[in-house]
Amino acid sequence: MSSADYTQELSVIEGKPGFRELDDLFTKPLDEKPNKKFYIALSISGSLMSLLLFGFALTIYYGIGVWGNNNPVGWAFDIVNFVFWVGIGHAGTLISAILFLFRQKWRTGIARFAEGMTIFAVMTAGLFPLLHVGRPWLAGYLFPYPNQHSMWVNFTSPLLWDVFAVSTYFTVSLIFWYVGLIPDFATLRERTTSKIKHVIYSVFSLGWRFSNRHWQHYEMVYLILAGFATPLVLSVHTIVSFDFAVSIIPGWHTTIFPPYFVAGAVFSGFAMVQNVLIFVRKIFNYEHIITLDTLDKMNKIMMVTGSMVGYAYAMEFFIAWYSGVQAESFAFLNRALGPYAWAYWIMVACNVITPQLFWFKKVRRSIPIMFVVAVFVNVGMWFERFVIIVTSLSRDYLPSSWAYYTPTLVDGMILLGSFGFFFTWILLFTKGLPVVSIAEVKAVVDGAQPSHKAHK
Amino acid sequence: MSSSEYNKKIFWKSLKEYHDDPAVFEAKANEFKEGVTDDFNPSQLNSLSRRKFLAALTASAAFAATACTDYRDKGEIIPYNNRPEEILAGRANLYASTCTSCSQACGILVKTREGRPIKIDGNPEHPTNKGKICTKGQASILNLYDPERMTDPQNGNIAVSWASADSDIISALNDSLANGKQVALFTNAVVSPSTKKVLDDFKAKYTNTKIYSYSVFGDDTRRAAWLETYGTTEYPSIKWEEANVILAVDADFLGTEGNFIENTRKFTSRREVVNKIDVNRLYVAEGRMSATGMMSDYRIRISPSAQFEFVLALANEVLENSSVTLNAEVKNLIAQTSLTKFAGGQSKKLSHLVKDLIANKGKSIVYAGDTLSKEVHLAVNLLNEILGNTALYDYSKVSKSLQPSSSNEELHSVADAMNNGNVDTIIHFDCNPVFDLAKSFDYAKALKKVKTVITLTEAENETSVLSTYSLPINHSLESWGDAHVKAGVYSLQQPVISPIFKTRQKEAVLLTWISGSSSVYNDSIYHKYLIDNFNSSIYSKKNSLADQKTFWYSALHDGVVEFNETAVQNSFSQVSFVGLSLPERAAGNTLHLTESYFIGDGKFANNGWLQETPHPVSKITWDNYASISPSFAKQLNLEMNDLVEISVNGKQLTIPVLVQPGVQDTTINIELGYGRKIIGDVGKDVGFDANIFVSLLGKLVYENISIKKVNGTHRLTSTQEHHSLDDTFVKDFHRIRKIVQEGTVEKYKNEPNFLSKEVKKHISITREHEYTGTKWAMSIDLNKCTSCAACVVSCNVENNIPVVGKDQTANGREMQWMRIDRYYSGTPDDPITSNQPMLCQHCDNAPCENVCPVNATNHSPDGLNQMAYNRCVGTRYCSNNCPYKVRRYNFYNFRDHFADAYYENNLTAMVHNPEVTVRSRGVMEKCTFCVQKIMEARSDAIRDGRELKGTDVITACQQACPANAIVFGDVNDEESDIAKIRNHKLAYHVLEELNVKPNVTYIAKLRNTHSEEVI
Repeated sequence: MSSADYTQELSVIEGKPGFRELDDLFTKPLDEKPNKKFYIALSISGSLMSLLLFGFALTIYYGIGVWGNNNPVGWAFDIVNFVFWVGIGHAGTLISAILFLFRQKWRTGIARFAEGMTIFAVMTAGLFPLLHVGRPWLAGYLFPYPNQHSMWVNFTSPLLWDVFAVSTYFTVSLIFWYVGLIPDFATLRERTTSKIKHVIYSVFSLGWRFSNRHWQHYEMVYLILAGFATPLVLSVHTIVSFDFAVSIIPGWHTTIFPPYFVAGAVFSGFAMVQNVLIFVRKIFNYEHIITLDTLDKMNKIMMVTGSMVGYAYAMEFFIAWYSGVQAESFAFLNRALGPYAWAYWIMVACNVITPQLFWFKKVRRSIPIMFVVAVFVNVGMWFERFVIIVTSLSRDYLPSSWAYYTPTLVDGMILLGSFGFFFTWILLFTKGLPVVSIAEVKAVVDGAQPSHKAHK
Repeated sequence: MSSSEYNKKIFWKSLKEYHDDPAVFEAKANEFKEGVTDDFNPSQLNSLSRRKFLAALTASAAFAATACTDYRDKGEIIPYNNRPEEILAGRANLYASTCTSCSQACGILVKTREGRPIKIDGNPEHPTNKGKICTKGQASILNLYDPERMTDPQNGNIAVSWASADSDIISALNDSLANGKQVALFTNAVVSPSTKKVLDDFKAKYTNTKIYSYSVFGDDTRRAAWLETYGTTEYPSIKWEEANVILAVDADFLGTEGNFIENTRKFTSRREVVNKIDVNRLYVAEGRMSATGMMSDYRIRISPSAQFEFVLALANEVLENSSVTLNAEVKNLIAQTSLTKFAGGQSKKLSHLVKDLIANKGKSIVYAGDTLSKEVHLAVNLLNEILGNTALYDYSKVSKSLQPSSSNEELHSVADAMNNGNVDTIIHFDCNPVFDLAKSFDYAKALKKVKTVITLTEAENETSVLSTYSLPINHSLESWGDAHVKAGVYSLQQPVISPIFKTRQKEAVLLTWISGSSSVYNDSIYHKYLIDNFNSSIYSKKNSLADQKTFWYSALHDGVVEFNETAVQNSFSQVSFVGLSLPERAAGNTLHLTESYFIGDGKFANNGWLQETPHPVSKITWDNYASISPSFAKQLNLEMNDLVEISVNGKQLTIPVLVQPGVQDTTINIELGYGRKIIGDVGKDVGFDANIFVSLLGKLVYENISIKKVNGTHRLTSTQEHHSLDDTFVKDFHRIRKIVQEGTVEKYKNEPNFLSKEVKKHISITREHEYTGTKWAMSIDLNKCTSCAACVVSCNVENNIPVVGKDQTANGREMQWMRIDRYYSGTPDDPITSNQPMLCQHCDNAPCENVCPVNATNHSPDGLNQMAYNRCVGTRYCSNNCPYKVRRYNFYNFRDHFADAYYENNLTAMVHNPEVTVRSRGVMEKCTFCVQKIMEARSDAIRDGRELKGTDVITACQQACPANAIVFGDVNDEESDIAKIRNHKLAYHVLEELNVKPNVTYIAKLRNTHSEEVI
């Protein structure tokens, strides 16, 4: 370690792969027919997704009654899943936009994939607000449109802000992702032998000819979009947290929620990206592109955000006590000691304690351990939303209306199914588009950029 | 003529124009005539361009077209071609009638819309219940529309015509007359003089008839005791309103016993703290935990089997200076008792009780429960004599006895006669003895020996399935009738709808049989009989100046006739005490069987509204259970839902337990009426049939019973989570959070501002609504509420609230807009109970409103928190953000949620109030402050050209409350009651510190104890 030369920026790509070599590497999955393993994976995720479809079909046919939600607990798995998946969707844009603005080159290997995950996670999340309503066929009422009743949406409702925040985030993320894909589409167009593919790639590459002008425009657009997306990364989960923070329910009504939710979202998003990338780099032989150093850095971010989340947990308790509001302090004591204490302690164990393992370099660089830790983080973050939503609602102001919430089979089906939905998209993505940005990686390969050193 | 001139004048419209009148030129220059465009100012026009406007118009039209697509034709609406004279479409008609749900015969007003009864309220003109009516009376309307009613006469399982059934029965009756065999007619308590006369006529025609009258619950024991001490079974009413101190000896006089609606009114008239402090003191000595027990200022735990000794011991304490001279035997009996035996940690309460009774001689009342033994009643009569409390007996309103109840000996002898084949024909006159009667009679077995068994019933029951003939009878709302329950009060019952099925009035059926020919029957046979009887017995009494017909119609209009019928006050006899001795009290457990609060003796088991009304104390729905004390539960290692086996005299019953704080340690209380086996889908197998323990009719206390834990559990569903009272984690939250605020009378007298000591100023950061016109608000006086749930059921009926069933209630999805919260404080053994009706608080700063994304819930200018059902998409956010959790969500389409589509039939749907939208699934709903009533009052005010007054509107809950605890009105009207109450020193809002500004004001409860502290 001591021999490391810190004056020299290390290449984020190991070895010195040639450009043609990189082209071959990244387009290989697209050129080859899917193998058996892919079909097995797809059938598993597809089966899980059918659980989601079946669960939602039951819900739409019979009503929300097929879920475990009850009178004090109006929201449960539905909104827990929503917040969880929106949270997962945070890493992508953070990696591609914020890290881009900060000129973090190590992001290039993982940005494309993380962005894809963002898109799919937000799509998964988007299902819940639409289908958690009692009459989904009237979900159009949630959008402002002119109508003969002069009925307008209620702009004071955080749920409406959600609609705007999530749809904006989705739109911008999608555009950002697509813009990044344009040069790669052109590369694919050049390489493909199939006529149909050629037409498709031509259309999507928007006439890209790798000209200097194109590159200049591209860089500018990418920069502007990164600037656009950056506040969105922060705003989406801030607004999601408003769903709770703006209410008056003890345990929800907390000013710490916006930063705490954003930190939590980044935390869980990175955990999910790390989990999936571990498979991707192995399966597609991208170990030198998505290097152990990159994973190490992601683990560090997890440790930081995990500690922020832990701090928020502690601060919530402190403020609850400090405020002197009985209902507030009870809400938090009830989390730790009440009927849902099991969920609370799962959350604390997974979110606060396990990420602390990343203080150790060995842990950060051991793939099996970091994988398990990140899985714990995801479990923990799901439980964090469960704890916030369900425990607060199940015991609020009037003890007479307190009730325990128990999920039903359909709740479980929808939760599992949401993973199926998400991973089905991920799997199709790995076969449909280059999962690593060809153009960007080429730009950060050692020696790709002109330097004084090279002329020496 | 020049060419230009020529061209100019090719066309002319007038001679003036032809002659080039300048006025014409002037007019032509301006396209529009002067004045036409005065109002036209382009700057005032909408800036929307024509294109945009058209686009918006098209879009709106498209949306409107799409929105209309879910219109489904649900059938035809047929207008009246010939409108019946009294019906005005859209306006309700009210008919005075008499309730037959129990034997108290309260006066009712039946509200009908387009010929269809939709609501039962109390008749304000009726002297007994004065406009109030209990849960059973209100919900009985659902039984009218019960699709499982019997529709045709049946011979066995085969539907037959009335004519053939009548002729068969008449010949059977004549046969038994010829054979000299007995005809036994069973009926419940008879309260109708005309019915009594029909029965007498029947007996006169078929002379071999014997009439057996019984009731599982009622005042038979009280009457028996009264007969022994005062020589008559007609006991006087109690002037509750004049009593300063009341001792209820296991008497649930505010919950199930006697006319508890009347009792509640009179009792709560002395729970007045708003205008003046006028509070009586209620002591309750009981083993179980009753609704009356919850109201008590001091509650003394005494096993029902020890009550005799307890009352005598009290007599012993207050005997000094009594004007009554007692026989030596009585003195001797009393001297054997001692109050110290009952102390056990309650000595302070007992000494208060003795002092209060002595200090309030002649101004207190001791009242024994209907379920206790005759001895206790005797002792209570004695105690009242000693205390001089007879002054509170009201002899102008004695309880009439039209048909004396049959004794257990008589019932045993008829059972024997049946078994011996001496009874040929049995008629069950609207009663269900197979379920009701004490199992020692083995009535079902005896019934098999009887040749012809005839059951007149509304719906199939345990008795009708064992009958040769089951004859369907009219529902109360389809029937004529009268009632004479209390002296001086004669009530009339009139049909408000013609029979829905092929049913007949039960008295008319007997009249047909009396006539001896099936062809004699016609629709008005009993109607005429009733009028004749009325003319001969009532009209003759009144010396009215009106002619018979006018008097009849005016009586029918009022529903009640009052006359003077004061009974003579008999002197007290001590003879009955001779031979009485103190029972050897066994140390074992005592089983106390009591009446169910809402389904009665099982008669209303098929009524979903009543099954789903939470028990006043335990909040359990859809079940009965054995309630035991917390220490006894600990001893047996029992928890709620655990099954126990209880055995009494060789009969066993496995039943779940409920650990009920406040129950005496050796008392086990089970409510009867549950466990019906042959009944409609709603009531089938709901609860457990504890009637099997009743070895003698009227005996409801069984000593020395055994109880043991058995394997398994049965889930009891409560609408309130049961928190362990000694769990310090959540203890006394209702006090800490100022949900329920209480004090004592002493405290209030010394420090009237004790509630509002620390005034906190709440500031709002948002713009407030301004209420310039009417602003609706409600107040609820916690001093008066007995948690009888009349308001809950009234709200159910008024607002079309669906029954959701046990499984959904267990899931916390009950739909009642109004609930009565019950909180305990104190210790589990000796809890203090607080009740609080909770409904939408219609907050000025309603937290539900700002979170609804679609504006489905919003605020009206008159202060109502409104719901637009058709706008609601069902995000449930409003409910989450409601601190009072009063919003109710349609998790399913509860109208067809039952597997058998209980609600989804044309008949049950008729019960709906047409003024209130029936909510679909996925929609949030809640209390509306009866907005339909407000609107009706408003349109009436507009029609009459007057200002709408707050008092014009009476909400359903307010109308039903027998304690008059609910006041509703306009707070902007400074003269109104509600405005005054809101500024009262005892008025508070629940969770005031949230600054949601609720519009339901609660009046803090003042307990009338000898202390300044509540506990």
